[in-house]
Amino acid sequence: MSKGKSSVSIIIDNKPFQVPKGITILEAAEQNDIYIPTLCAHKELTPFGGCRMCIVEVEGFRNFPTACTTPVSEGMIIRTHTAQIQAMRSDILQLLMSEHTSSCLVCAENEECKRYSGTIRKSGITTGCRYCSNDDQCEMQEVAEYLGAKEIVYPISYRNVRVEKEDPFYDRDYNLCILCGRCVRMCQEIRTANVLAFKHSGRKTVVGPAFGRTHMDSGCEFCGACVSVCPTGTLSEKARKWEGKPDREVVTTCSFCGVGCQMRLLVKGDHVIGSLPVIGDMVNDGQLCVRGRFCVNEMVNNYQRLVRPFKTYTDIRVEILWDEAITTAAEQLKNCPPDQFGMVASPNCSNESLYVAQKFARQAMNSHNIDTTARSYYGSGFNEFLSLMKKSVSLDDVRKADTIVCIGLDTRFGRSVIGVELRKAAARGTRIVTFNSRDHNLTLIAEKWLQPTIGHEAEVLEKLVALTKSGKAAAAPKLPADAGVSADDLACAAELLKASKSCVVMIGSDFLQYENSDHILTTIEQLAKNPAIGVMPLPAQNNLNGTFMMGAYPELLPNGCASSSKASRDKLGTAWKAKLPSAKGQWCESMLQQGSKLKVLYLVGETPHGDKVADFTIFQNIYPPDKAIHADLMLPAAAFTEEDGTFINGEGRLQKIRKAVEPPADTMPDWKILCLIAQEMGIKGFDYKSVKDIQKEIASIVPAFKGYDKPSRAPGPIKCDGTLTLSAPGVENMPKRSKKYPFLLTGSVVAHSYRGFPLSLYVNGAKTIFPEGVIEINDEDARKAKIKSGDDVIVESGTLKGHWRVSVIARQPRGTVHVRLRLGETVSHNPHAVSMRKNDV
Amino acid sequence: MKETDYDKIFSRFKGVESDIIPMLLRIQEKEGYISEEAVMRMSRFLRISENQIYGVASFYSRYRFNKPGRNSIKVCMGTACHVHGGKFSCEAFEWQFGVKIGERSDDGKFDLQQVNCMGCCTLAPVVQINEDIYGHTLVTGLKEMLRKYE
Repeated sequence: MSKGKSSVSIIIDNKPFQVPKGITILEAAEQNDIYIPTLCAHKELTPFGGCRMCIVEVEGFRNFPTACTTPVSEGMIIRTHTAQIQAMRSDILQLLMSEHTSSCLVCAENEECKRYSGTIRKSGITTGCRYCSNDDQCEMQEVAEYLGAKEIVYPISYRNVRVEKEDPFYDRDYNLCILCGRCVRMCQEIRTANVLAFKHSGRKTVVGPAFGRTHMDSGCEFCGACVSVCPTGTLSEKARKWEGKPDREVVTTCSFCGVGCQMRLLVKGDHVIGSLPVIGDMVNDGQLCVRGRFCVNEMVNNYQRLVRPFKTYTDIRVEILWDEAITTAAEQLKNCPPDQFGMVASPNCSNESLYVAQKFARQAMNSHNIDTTARSYYGSGFNEFLSLMKKSVSLDDVRKADTIVCIGLDTRFGRSVIGVELRKAAARGTRIVTFNSRDHNLTLIAEKWLQPTIGHEAEVLEKLVALTKSGKAAAAPKLPADAGVSADDLACAAELLKASKSCVVMIGSDFLQYENSDHILTTIEQLAKNPAIGVMPLPAQNNLNGTFMMGAYPELLPNGCASSSKASRDKLGTAWKAKLPSAKGQWCESMLQQGSKLKVLYLVGETPHGDKVADFTIFQNIYPPDKAIHADLMLPAAAFTEEDGTFINGEGRLQKIRKAVEPPADTMPDWKILCLIAQEMGIKGFDYKSVKDIQKEIASIVPAFKGYDKPSRAPGPIKCDGTLTLSAPGVENMPKRSKKYPFLLTGSVVAHSYRGFPLSLYVNGAKTIFPEGVIEINDEDARKAKIKSGDDVIVESGTLKGHWRVSVIARQPRGTVHVRLRLGETVSHNPHAVSMRKNDV
Repeated sequence: MKETDYDKIFSRFKGVESDIIPMLLRIQEKEGYISEEAVMRMSRFLRISENQIYGVASFYSRYRFNKPGRNSIKVCMGTACHVHGGKFSCEAFEWQFGVKIGERSDDGKFDLQQVNCMGCCTLAPVVQINEDIYGHTLVTGLKEMLRKYE
């Protein structure tokens, strides 16, 4: 370290060091590899000085200062482990241990026990006493070992509080808590979720939310940041309990939504046992949401995984070998005319798989019939969403913005990483306006909460856009009386927008499934015409950007070129050494729902829609489809933890996914399966040896893909000159509530899914936080209609009949109900006036 | 408390973090305890999470989170009273009302509290009901004592 004003010289344990000015003694020691035991200090958190474990001797100080809170100064002489300090530390540790069940730590047989506890068994080892699921990962254990704690001289006081197991994802045993405050600081400082606080005082102090509520009821986002920093076994992941220390970590990109967080997969043996955020990353900087933190291991490690190919013989699924599976598929595909073929790829697939999938459809099948499920997800607003994505700003702009408008965004469980950014921005003084008809977790930080009545969102937004303009245009559209937003509030929000020098409009997914989503999105686009206003659509699918860039649509070729252009087709054809078909007679994925029939339907990472939509369905995924759904051939695919590849996130960052474990049993990455079938069919150009070969080919066609090897991860909006043709335009007529149909129903499809499977099917805790088949109703409406949570209701209108389970929540606006649809369910019109009655069977 | 009562209290504050303690005091003065609704409204007003407000409030034994009964019973647990068996009076009340310390009886007539010394140790064990002090109490005489307040 260079000498200068910015550094000070200190002596630690008789060795001189030059350290930067302003750091603490603990940091100085850590930089120079000197160990000072700590329990409450954590590199991400502010110093606390609570555990007193890091006391050191400093010459000239009367007492023993804590290293974590004392800054270094010139000429400091520090001793970190004199006999006196070690004795004091040992005493302090014993005091901590007298309240922490730790018989194992001071057991006389401890040493011997360790030697003999390793036995050769198929299951995990559990010989010896194991009281704590965090054994071997406990920091208190390390400190006890360092200090050589052998006994506890103080009277043991067991708190005897109930172990809290009612919340999903993690258990809390406050008998083990040492009140280091790491979780509280994490929740308040870094996550700013403010769920955890110290409650009561003195001996009764305990950590938890207000009034003894559960975490579920107190706004917890289940980000697991508290679990990651807990130095003891107080907080432990349900799915990772007793797993022990991971063998290694692999950095990869989360594939559950379009934010594209970087995470570390914890691998033990050949399993991914957990995931943690990457600290200091430019996207998520040490944060993950509940899906990335807790759902990965359960989603990819499930025993229900499809690991071998299956063939269906009149409703009986028979396991077959890969050879037979490939031959069967090739045979069916060879006999399939191009216009009778359809392929649906998942926006969760990697770029490489998507590229090979569309090449397969275009070259091997001579057909443009490849589509993704994003089309039905975005409905009538798909084109507008694409054009907004072309203008998308990045998270860096969000961090710099002085005003942020959130439209239909709820960051509690989905994209809570964005929520953290927003709360941090609000703390910096950024003004936040949130636009959502339902109560959500941004209302606490928002300066203005515009709460339009359901169905009037587009009109309110239009008025807002008009108000940001000056002169006559401002007065133009009239706001309906029942719009729910007062003219003053709207004017105030418009003033904020007008005064802003850099504003970002964030688009969440709450309105995207409305019938008039195209209208809402066009209005937002008008807002973005103002040069000071940037938009940031937050796609729910992790690789939506990639589907456009790889050309996984009938209308789009790789690099976003329109397939209707002959020049683009010819250019691609030369690169592939093949002749591409002309793009006529457009097919799309939503036709499947309307009952059009195909000869062969190939689903790459998607689940089939409803009944038999094709004569022969090839189903390629990580789980088998539901028993009731017909799939003729099932091919086992690898999950994102088992393959190499790239994703492009919502901001257009090219990010890598890395293989953490070998694909289980007979599974293979999507692209490999497609290549094998193509080769069997005798098509040239599918002889890729590895992902690298595909990436090279993509880079020669898609300029933005260059640098795939070492992606700069710089954000860049998509360049795409094609447009999508939509079968159903948006509907404008606003349903009216009547005496017969007194409730206004809105529906949302399963938003939290991976490759077509809802997380709640395979992840235990996700069943609680992402419920399906649930209809949410306001408490007052529920009282009037005499229904309560858990009741079965029949919801009816002229065109709709559904059975759902009631969940009474205060945040639902009166007179409206919101249904979280099950997989495959749809609501014919959204919003929709309905009647509701209790199912009295 | 009605919405206007809250508004009246809140109108005296700027809405900064340091307002938590005085706001809690005003609310307790008015309502006698800190209700869940009060914390929720404070959270909306101050833009601080309910959990943090509860964390601050629960630190001080002065704030109570249960609705007080019409009469308050305070059982002394100071040294002298403890030696003379104040604990038994307390347990007797707990059994009689089926509540724990700090809670309110089902009929809302009484609430039970423990205090540490009332300064009249010669009368130990001491029980205070509202403003009346009862000394040399016996477990057998408690029921008789309560009759006055029913």
